[in-house]
Amino acid sequence: MRYNEKELQALSRQPAEMAAELGMRGPKKGSVVKRRLVKLVVNFLFYFRTDEAEPIGALLLEHCRVTQEEPSGFSISFLEDPERKYHFECCSEEQCQEWMAALRRASYEFMRRSLIFYRNEIQKMTGKDPLEQFGISEEARFQLSSLKA
Amino acid sequence: MKLNERSVAHYALSDSPADHTGFLRTWGGAGMPPTPSGAGRRCWFVLKGNLLFSFENREGRAPLSLVVLEGCTVELAEAPVPEEFAFAIRFDAPGVRPHLLAADGPAAQEAWVKALSRASFGYMRLVVRELESQLREARHSLDLHRRSSWKAVSSRCKPQAPDRWSPGLENGHSLSRDCSPMGLVEEGGSRSAGRGLAEWELQGPASLLLGRGQSPVSPETSCFSTLHEWYGREIMELRRAWLQRAQENQPECKDQDRP
Repeated sequence: MRYNEKELQALSRQPAEMAAELGMRGPKKGSVVKRRLVKLVVNFLFYFRTDEAEPIGALLLEHCRVTQEEPSGFSISFLEDPERKYHFECCSEEQCQEWMAALRRASYEFMRRSLIFYRNEIQKMTGKDPLEQFGISEEARFQLSSLKA
Repeated sequence: MKLNERSVAHYALSDSPADHTGFLRTWGGAGMPPTPSGAGRRCWFVLKGNLLFSFENREGRAPLSLVVLEGCTVELAEAPVPEEFAFAIRFDAPGVRPHLLAADGPAAQEAWVKALSRASFGYMRLVVRELESQLREARHSLDLHRRSSWKAVSSRCKPQAPDRWSPGLENGHSLSRDCSPMGLVEEGGSRSAGRGLAEWELQGPASLLLGRGQSPVSPETSCFSTLHEWYGREIMELRRAWLQRAQENQPECKDQDRP
């Protein structure tokens, strides 16, 4: 699959929702923990060598699962291969909880569902579609039918 | 730069909603010149969230390319581009080449430009936040309305065992879990258990509430125990707050974010 690395690099320089130095271990067997600067920007998690300006890698956070691992770590795995985990080690339980909460909210799909939920609730409570005022009520991405529940 | 390509491709092919799809002609790609010459390559494009994928055709099982639609603007392409119905995705960052695409007709061109312009994460986040505050306002005015009607209801209410709502309502601590979309992580899964993405969609809010008409003003809320629960929540929350203030040495006083 072709993609423009420069697009991703530019994105990695955008203001981050969360950024910290964490221990990171890749999903391959026998991989070791390395210190990485981890940066959450929109629905991508970038990771950098601590002294470098360009990321070594990125994880798209759609259809991912964030699980707590021992007291202050968490792992990220993806729908198509749940056993393949990227491990992260935080310096405290608090930092770990903060990251987990941020990562769970970081997908576009999560936002879509939030939006549809709010839209539906507001409609039930007020009888009005809140998106009408923006002229976007017909957009595909905001439709209840787009949910697979 | 490494990317979790397999997961990205899986997401592209998954049945999560596509925000726009269609055939477009494209230039630029391995072996293709950057400026339009010839008709360009006709591919099947799929927009999901802030990601634009292309496939060889509608049945393609592997995306050919990915464009991340962040930090970019989408404009109708002007001369000297000879292509009809063309538009360009231009990036703000220097050194990132624009993507030139062409639709089959003016309606498709307009639809694509609109869809792509609204594809960014930031745009979605803006709309979500706006609705979040609107919902907060709507709930607030409902609260004011409830206070007067609660007095009429309370004399007849009997505690009923919650059926669908989480147990432990007695201790008042499950309130924010139920009310906040963020908190319905565990609950949401049971409703759609066994269906494909179900447990992975736990991160979504309130799939429990969706489509069940569970709101105090909804005509479907004919079940008294549900009504009682809705009205009772506020009381439980107030009581919990009073208790916490009364015991000033309580270490945990989490500020639950209720939308």
